Parts: sequence; structure tokens; C-alpha cells
Amino acid sequence: MTVAGRYVGQSVRRQEDPRLLTGHGRYVDDIVVPGMLHAAFVRSSVPHGLLRGVDTEAARALPGVAAVLTAAELHPGLHPMWQTMMGQDAPAAPFRPLADADVRYVGDPIALVVVESRYIAEDAAELVVADIEPLPPVLDTSAALGDTASLVHPELGSNLAGELPAAGSPELDAAFASAALVATETFHQHRYACVPMETRGLVAQWDPAGEQLTVWAATQGPHEFRAICGRVLGLPEPRIRVIMGDVGGGFGQKMFPMREEIAVVAATRQLGRPVKWIEDRNENLLGGGHAREEQMTVSVAADDAGHFTGVRVEQLENVGAYPFPGNGSTAMAGSMIFPGPYRIPALSYAARAVYTTTCGRCAYRGPWMMETVAREQMVDLLARRLGMDPLELRRRNVITAEDLPFTTASGMVYETVSPAQTLEQAAELIGYDAFRREQAAERERGRLLGIGLALYIEPSQSFGPLGTDGATVRLEPDGRVALVMGTASHGQSLETTMAQVVAEHLGCDLGDITFVQGDTAYVPYGAGTGGSRSAVVAAGAARQAALALRERIVTLAAAVLEAAPSDLEVASSAVGVRGDPASALPFAKLAGLAYFGHAALPEGAPVALEVTERFKAPPFTFSNACHAATVEVDATTGQVSILRYVVSEDCGVMINPMVVEGQIAGGVLQGIGGVLYEHMVYDGDGNPLTTTFLDYLLPTAAEAPAIEYGHVETASRLPGGAKGMGEGGAIASPPALANAINDALAPLGIHLTRQPMSPAAIVAALTP
Amino acid sequence: MKAAPFCYHRPGTVAEAVETLAAFGDGAKVLAGGQSLVPLMALRLARAEHLVDLGRIAALRYVRGAADSVAVGAMTVQAAAGRDPVIAASVPLLARAIPFIGHFQVRNRGTVGGSCAHADPSAEIPAVAVTLDAELEASGRGRPRLIPAAKFFTSTFTTSLEPDEVLTALHFPVWPGRSGFAVREFARRRGDFAVAGAVCAVTLGQGERIERVAIGLLGLGAVPLRAAAAERAATGTAAGDLDVTEIGHLAVADTDPPDDVHATPGYRRRVGVAMAARALTAALEEAAHG
Amino acid sequence: METQVAQVAMTVNGTPRRATVEPRKTLADTLREDFGLTGTHLGCEHGVCGACTVLVDGAAIRACLMFAVQADGSEVVTVEGLAPAGGGLSAVQRAFREEHGLQCGFCTPGFVVSLTAYLRDHPMPSGAELRDALSGNLCRCTGYQGIIAAARRAAGGMEDQ
Repeated sequence: MTVAGRYVGQSVRRQEDPRLLTGHGRYVDDIVVPGMLHAAFVRSSVPHGLLRGVDTEAARALPGVAAVLTAAELHPGLHPMWQTMMGQDAPAAPFRPLADADVRYVGDPIALVVVESRYIAEDAAELVVADIEPLPPVLDTSAALGDTASLVHPELGSNLAGELPAAGSPELDAAFASAALVATETFHQHRYACVPMETRGLVAQWDPAGEQLTVWAATQGPHEFRAICGRVLGLPEPRIRVIMGDVGGGFGQKMFPMREEIAVVAATRQLGRPVKWIEDRNENLLGGGHAREEQMTVSVAADDAGHFTGVRVEQLENVGAYPFPGNGSTAMAGSMIFPGPYRIPALSYAARAVYTTTCGRCAYRGPWMMETVAREQMVDLLARRLGMDPLELRRRNVITAEDLPFTTASGMVYETVSPAQTLEQAAELIGYDAFRREQAAERERGRLLGIGLALYIEPSQSFGPLGTDGATVRLEPDGRVALVMGTASHGQSLETTMAQVVAEHLGCDLGDITFVQGDTAYVPYGAGTGGSRSAVVAAGAARQAALALRERIVTLAAAVLEAAPSDLEVASSAVGVRGDPASALPFAKLAGLAYFGHAALPEGAPVALEVTERFKAPPFTFSNACHAATVEVDATTGQVSILRYVVSEDCGVMINPMVVEGQIAGGVLQGIGGVLYEHMVYDGDGNPLTTTFLDYLLPTAAEAPAIEYGHVETASRLPGGAKGMGEGGAIASPPALANAINDALAPLGIHLTRQPMSPAAIVAALTP
Repeated sequence: MKAAPFCYHRPGTVAEAVETLAAFGDGAKVLAGGQSLVPLMALRLARAEHLVDLGRIAALRYVRGAADSVAVGAMTVQAAAGRDPVIAASVPLLARAIPFIGHFQVRNRGTVGGSCAHADPSAEIPAVAVTLDAELEASGRGRPRLIPAAKFFTSTFTTSLEPDEVLTALHFPVWPGRSGFAVREFARRRGDFAVAGAVCAVTLGQGERIERVAIGLLGLGAVPLRAAAAERAATGTAAGDLDVTEIGHLAVADTDPPDDVHATPGYRRRVGVAMAARALTAALEEAAHG
Repeated sequence: METQVAQVAMTVNGTPRRATVEPRKTLADTLREDFGLTGTHLGCEHGVCGACTVLVDGAAIRACLMFAVQADGSEVVTVEGLAPAGGGLSAVQRAFREEHGLQCGFCTPGFVVSLTAYLRDHPMPSGAELRDALSGNLCRCTGYQGIIAAARRAAGGMEDQ
């Protein structure tokens, strides 16, 4: 445990709240630029087909229409697109902002109409007629790999988007050969999506004289947005300014600009007029990126005491037609993280990702999380086959403090994780043993009660291009502090937590700090807010910059006070000789001297009270948690009621516990939504059926259980001791809930391995 | 997601509304509270060249109680009907159904008449109207006419209103005596249209026998249904002898529920059995014990 | 009256406002574009998410499901009109801040307006009633934990303690 500081460790109320609560946030749809036009897309209503022609004449004739652009007009002069994180040579779907020779999913953008108002833009879009000759859709991932399958991307020659071959080992073969028990099961996860309350959107403005592009975007990463604009348009990055204001959630969807955003940017340059595009909800559900549709077959070899001796994994991912980023596969991350919180001596992990004529996959909170979804359900299934309680089976296999440091079968090194502690804390908080007694008694009365656990290890992703972030801390002439960061906070509360870190280490008052982010013209380079990186990488940069500025301020004060720096202390935005409060020089006084009164300063006293630092993090920092849920299943309607929900987590030193709990809660409800309510459905012909909020069901306050928290605080080895935790809530909640539901159904001999576990699906299992 | 253009008409009287509808024929649509029509227009699944807004016809907003019936003006917003003391006292089934409609923000705009004219088979007010044998009053160019609820709803989103007719009021009969009323429905989330639901009114007579019973079903067909066979089986039975699950099975036996992403027909029937049984149980309880 | 372009007049947050709009223009778009009140957000434009909730003649309604012409002559209050005139936050807004009832903030105006109207009419709601009242607004960030806590705090008048 780390003792809380003046600011770090406190549930400080958020700086961003007053403007957001009073309607004074500035989201992208609030941006109005003089002369601005509005874009709308014409989209394919056919899942797969040859585009014989696009008749735009009637649309062009509509008053107010500035342009109707098809691929033929928009594409010439555009350069290849690739994401920094994936690299230039990574496997990816072909890049084309608009469909040209063919359409590859329902929603595929065919044309872009650019009009005086969004109302008329939608009128014009209706008037565009696409002549499409249907081709067979590609929907089933297994069939898509067959010889006779129609090809989603004919230029690639195969529907196989990516492949991770199994890497077996003699140890693994031996483990299976000598196992007391081998259990194999295939788990299916269905298609659901990020669904931020603010859809995607941007305003793009091209200055033809200066050849400069300005984009106001709803993004999780302004610099990546800029990089991609630079690549596609062939522009130097400094000529592009990407500005993010407030952003209404992302969850991965806004990490990378997708085809529509790129099309709008290309259109604004071509037309020389500012263009706004605000995705509507129908488009967002139809084509804004989907996630999670995949299956995983897990074979576990165990000895007679239930110790895991080896695991084989095969994953099959449906990445749709145009996944973002790269080929949409999460297998590489999944293969590294799969062993999670358990001692698994030998592992093989094979995966195939498959293109289909559906909306492409995008990143979604814990994109690789199928490893936890399948692993944790497998633990419960194995426990049932062994006749052992799932808690006991986890106790026998979980990594304990004595095991550390621990290197997993996939090569991950854990130094400061605490899965065993969170397992015990969650079990205690939910009253595991008492619930088992209650459950037994209630089963006698015919009630179906169940309890489920799920453990996981969550990586903060700071590998490769995600490994650094920057912060500038500047003492302004009035003694106040500007904190300028490369972050892209869009709900994560960084405006508050980064200021807490700076106030703590600089020694200023929190209220003196103003936080600035989200303008590539002015802020340090940042790899974007996502991947549970911020508490590790961004906070590292904020801390480092604050300490460096503090040192400068102390050096300046030492020169002024004619004291040794080591005799000085900094507190409440002032520097003075320790034990002599009367000597304290307020930051405002020192700033005044540095900026304006420098002639009076001794030689060598620093006057540059502005520091920019970049923090370089290790590739992974691991947090961990255990989720525990209790449920009741109504055997008549199939409805699942969540009775209690507990999360015990260890994200190291919490910068702001209130914010940590808020992140957990949001993630948990997304997982609950996924298992019980949300389902992006395609019919057998490839038509999406759930493209409004009447059919795509997000959980509401009435469906949300009260979430209870337990904290274990094991400091990481990083300065500051933090670990990232933004995604975990959404990773472990699906299997915790699935395990609880299956535990409830156990007396009926039913074990569900497919999501969603909707009332109708549960009833279908009950009534074969 | 913006509606296609239309001409807007805001008549001040029913006669003026009827004239406007007659003038534009199939090109005209009536706008009541807009809570169902406007989303469809935004999605461009519905469009109208002429939209006739009844919102300013003050004469269509009222609740009037008489000895044996209660009249509710068609443009009475659902929230107002839901807190109206006359409705609460004389047509409790309606008062209890209203909280199931969407969310309170929707009930602040949605109207009693609009819900019926929209004729969603999963909607609550149409089910109550059919169950209580309400009469719906329509005004066209001819004389106003009263349409029995059973004949008003003809199919999904379809009614027996003529194109130039405006629904002006609903007349709900008052059930006297030792009566009980209940609404039970199952929806995926709070406020969603029901996967299946039942509304029930029952009157007990001598010897705790069921003197009169009406069971309505929503979400189980193209229109709100009456469970006639179930009602016949229950009528005359002593409340204590009633097998409510059996009545529930009878209620859904001849239904042909819709199939969609949320539920199969078989699932809807299964839930319908339970909802009918639970509604009947609750209504009987109230009739017996007040 | 019959028209393809309409003049509308309404009082918004206490100030008389006028605009010339197409009849198909929603109240939400009119507030945002014609009156510059961008606190009213559009999350779905088909009446489900509740982000566009405003008060019309005191009643909380979906501003995406009402055409501006329908609000002609009405008294409209948006999220910008809830805080005290001198600045600061309303009781409901303070409760949201205290209880971490918002993250990205996009859904927040709809929740704040809805809850303000609901608590005015139901000063002592039960927990279940509060969850029911909040169920007409969607949030994707908070898991509703902070929102429910904020509603309880505002309902209990705890915000000043």
C-alpha cells in the first residue's frame, strides 16, 4: 500500500465536469465554420455485388448540392493508408474510401454527397441510384475458407485475413499424453459494438493557398488522425492540424480514422470548401465498426488434482470486410495474454481471421478479450467435469505472490500482479460460501441461482509506437501552471488525473493548473488515449515534466534566496527555506522574476520555466482483477437477474479512486450489455437487422446492477506505481456472467457456450 | 437521420383537420404526439407530403367521467391520462397500463389517441381498449361514428379509420362491482415494447365465482387480441378452483405471434402464457381483497 | 395554416427567440443551429437515447421527436438554462459532479434535464422509481453507477451536506 499524497490517491472531483454539466462542452458537431458544407453517404443496401454504375444526375440537380463524389471522382491522387501501430507492411484489407468496382457489405459507402445542409444532403443521397449486380454473400467464417467461397476481396485471392500457426512443443504433447483429464470446448462470442453515445464525425477545412488542412475530429488520437491524413493526401504532417474538443466516448471506435472520415478529408481538399460529416446512429450501427464475433476452441490438460498441465487454443475471428486497424485480428495479443492469471506450463495458440461481407471489425475495449472469455468459461467447465467447485479449481492454479516474478508460457513476465489476492477478496466480498448454502436451499424450492467468477490480467499497451507520451508543464507569468499533453481524454478524466499528478510532483495547488490537449499544432506527440495506457505512459510523462520543472523552479528560488537547493521545500505553489515559512517565494513572484525581472537575477539562474518531457514505458504493465456475479434465472421467461456484482482489482497506485471505479463500472456494464442485451444481427442473406436503438439494445439504469468494489494496491515498478485498467471491466464481465448463468442452470444439466444469453436463447436451451 | 420535406398544417378544429385530410388524400398524415411517427419519418421509413398536426386542437384534450363510461379525448397526453383521478378511479386498467409505455419523456408527448391510431400490436393502450370493449370515436366528412375496439384494429399499424377521418375520443366502459385489474408484460428492457404481455379485468360474483373476465394480449399477433376461449373457460369458475396456467395456455393457443430478432413465435407464446396467468392472478387477488 | 417555411417564436431559457425553419426541422436542430444552444445533443435522432431531452412548457421531452413548428409559442428550457443565473451549478448538476455521474459528458445534458423535471414532480422517489425514471436515457461510459448515486443524492437533498 502506498500512502495517498496531497492529490494522488484522492477522489478529486473532476475539472471537466462544470462545462459538461451546463451544456458548454464543445463536441465536433458544435463546430461551425463559415462556408461549411454537410456530407452524407450513399451506402450499399446489398451485402455483396458488382457495382455496374452509379447514377448521380438527379442528386446533382437538387438545389443546394455542391458535389456528388463517387470513387471515380474521389480516389485519384490518394496514396496508400496504413496505421502507425500496425506498420506499413501489415496484412490489411484493401484501402478504398468509397466502393469502386463492387460493394462488400451492407453499408459500404458508394458515394459522398456534399450539400448546404444535412437535411438536403439526405434528400440528395436518396436520389443517387446504384446499379448493383448481386454476388453470393460471405457470412460463415468456416465456409468462407472453403474452395468454392465467393471472395470478399478478390484482389487478395483468399478470405483468410490472417493466420497465427500453432506452435506446439514436446512439453505440450507430453502434457496431453499424460493428462488425467482433457476437456475440450468451443466458445462462441457474438457480434456487438462500441456504440459511443456520440457517433463519429469531423469538420475538415482545406486552405488551398497555404496548402494546409485543418480537421476538427471526434477522435481518440489526433496525431494518428493527422498521420493518416498525411499519408493518404501526401501532405507533410506539420501542414495538417487536427483538433479534438470534447469527445463523446470512443471505446476503440475512434482510435483510427476509417473510410468515411478519410473520404471527407479527401473531399474537402478536392472541393476547397469546409465539409462537416456527423455520422448518424443508423450509420454508426450499420458501418461504424463491429467487434467480438469469434469462436475459440480450448483444450485443457489437467492432472488428477486439477492442475493445468497444458492448453491448446484455436481461434476463428470474423473481421468483416474492412476491419480497422490492419486486418482486424486480435490473435497476436490474445496469444500473449491467454495464460492470464494461471500457471499454465505449456501452451499453443493458433488463430485464423476471416473476411466476410459484413461491417468490418474495429477495436473495442479489450479487443483481444476472447482469451479471457473462453479461458474463464473453460475453467468452470473443467471444474464441473472434475466435480470441483470453480473457486477451488482457480485456487489450485492461480499465480500467487510466492510465484513472482513469473514468466508465462507465452513469455510475459509478471512482477507485481496479485490474482490470488483479488480472487480471495472477491470471494469474500460476495460471500461465496454463504451464497453456496443459500443456492442449495433455494434450489430445493425451484429457484435457479448461480455464482460466477472470472479472473484476468490486463496489459497496459505501451509497446512499439504506443510506448511514449509527452507532456509540457509551463509556469505562466502569473504563477499559474499550463499542462499541455499529447493525450486524447474523452471520458477518462485525464484533465483531472494528469493535473493531480502534476500538482503532487510540482508542489502547486491543483486549482492553479489548466490542462490542454488535443491540438496537433501545439501539444506534444501522443499515441492516443486507449489501450489502458494513460495511467502508465501519460501519467509518467506528466510526472517527469512536473519534477523537471520543479527542479528549475527550485534552482531559481535558490539563486534568489541565496540558499542551497537542498534546503528548499516546495508546497502550495511556493518555494521557501525548510522551517522558515517567511522565506517562501510564491510561484507568481518567481515567474515574474523569470519573465520580467530577469535583469536582477544572478548569473546562471534559470529563466526557462517550461519543460517538455517524454516518458518511455516498458512494453507492458500488468494490472489484474477478479469479477464475481450472482444471478437468478427465471425458467419461464429465461430472464437473467443480476443479484450482486463484485469487482476486486489491483491497478497499483490509484491516482483517483473515484475515476478508477468509474472506469470499472463502465466496462462492466458494456460486458453485461454484450452477454444479455446487445447483438448485432445479420440475417442469412447478409442484411443487418439491428441498426437502430429500437433493435440494438443498450442496457439502461434499470438493468444495471449495483457494482461493489474491492481494491488491492500493489505498486508497479514504474515511478508512481500505477498500472492501466481502462479495459478490464469489459474483459472479465462477460465470462463472469456466463459462468454465473451456467451455474444457475447446472441442475438442469445445461451448459451454454454461446452468447448472447438472451431470454429467448436461454429458453431455447431449456426446451430442446 | 432527417425527415423528408413536408408541408405542415396546424388546424385549430377537428373540422378543419378533416377538411385538410380530405383535400390531400393519401399524401396526408396525421401528427398526434409524434412519438412513433417522427422516428419513422427520421428514418425515412414513413413520409408525408402533408403533415396535419392535431396538437393545437384543444377540444381533443379532456377526460370526462359518466356513470358507466369514461371518455378520453384523443389528444390527451399519456402522462396526463396516467395521473388523471377519474381514470384512476373508473378505468384502473388504463391507469395501470400507461406506466408501461416507453419512458416518462415519451408519455409527456405521446397521446392516448395517437397510440391507437398507430396500432402497434405490442402497444398497451390498444390492448386495454380491446380488453375493455372500448369504443373509438372518429370524425370524418360525414357524421361522427363509434367503432368498437375489436373492429378498429385491423392489422399491424393498420386501423379501420378512413383516410379523411380523425380519431377524436375513446370511450371506456366502467366495470362495476368487485372487480380487479392487472397488467403484466415482459420486455427486453424497461420501457421496450413487450415481447408478450397480458391485460386483465375480472369481476367476482357470489361464491367467489368469476362473473365476468376479459383477457387481452399484446405482442402476440397482428393486432391486440382477446383471449376468448380462456375467458369462456374461466367465466363461472370459482376463483379458488381456477388453474391460471391452464387459462394462460388457452389464451395463447390460437395466436400467431410475430418473429423478429428479439423473440420467436414459440418464445412469445411461452411468455404469453406466463403473463396471462400472472395478470389473471393479480386481477383476481384485487377483486377478492380490494 | 399551411407552410413549407415557417416562422417560429418561443421563449428559450427565458429569452424570446425567433427562427425561420423548414417544418421538418426538429426542435433539437433548431435549438442547436438557430439558437446556438449546443448543449442539447443528438445521440440517435429516433427518440431512444434521450441525449436531446429538454423541457417544453415544463415537461421533459425528446427534442428530436418534436418539430420546431410544434414548439411554436412554447416555453423551452435547455441544459444551459438550469444553472443559477449567477453561475455555478444546480443541485442536480452538483450531485452529478459529486458522484462521478458523467465521463465523456455527451449523454449528460439529457440526464440532467430529465432528472431535474422528474425530481420536481417526484421529490421523494424510491430507488426502483429512480432507476425507472433514469431508464429513458442511455449512457455508455458510467455503467449508471454514478448517475444513480447522483440521483439519490439530489433526491435526498444531500448536496449541501
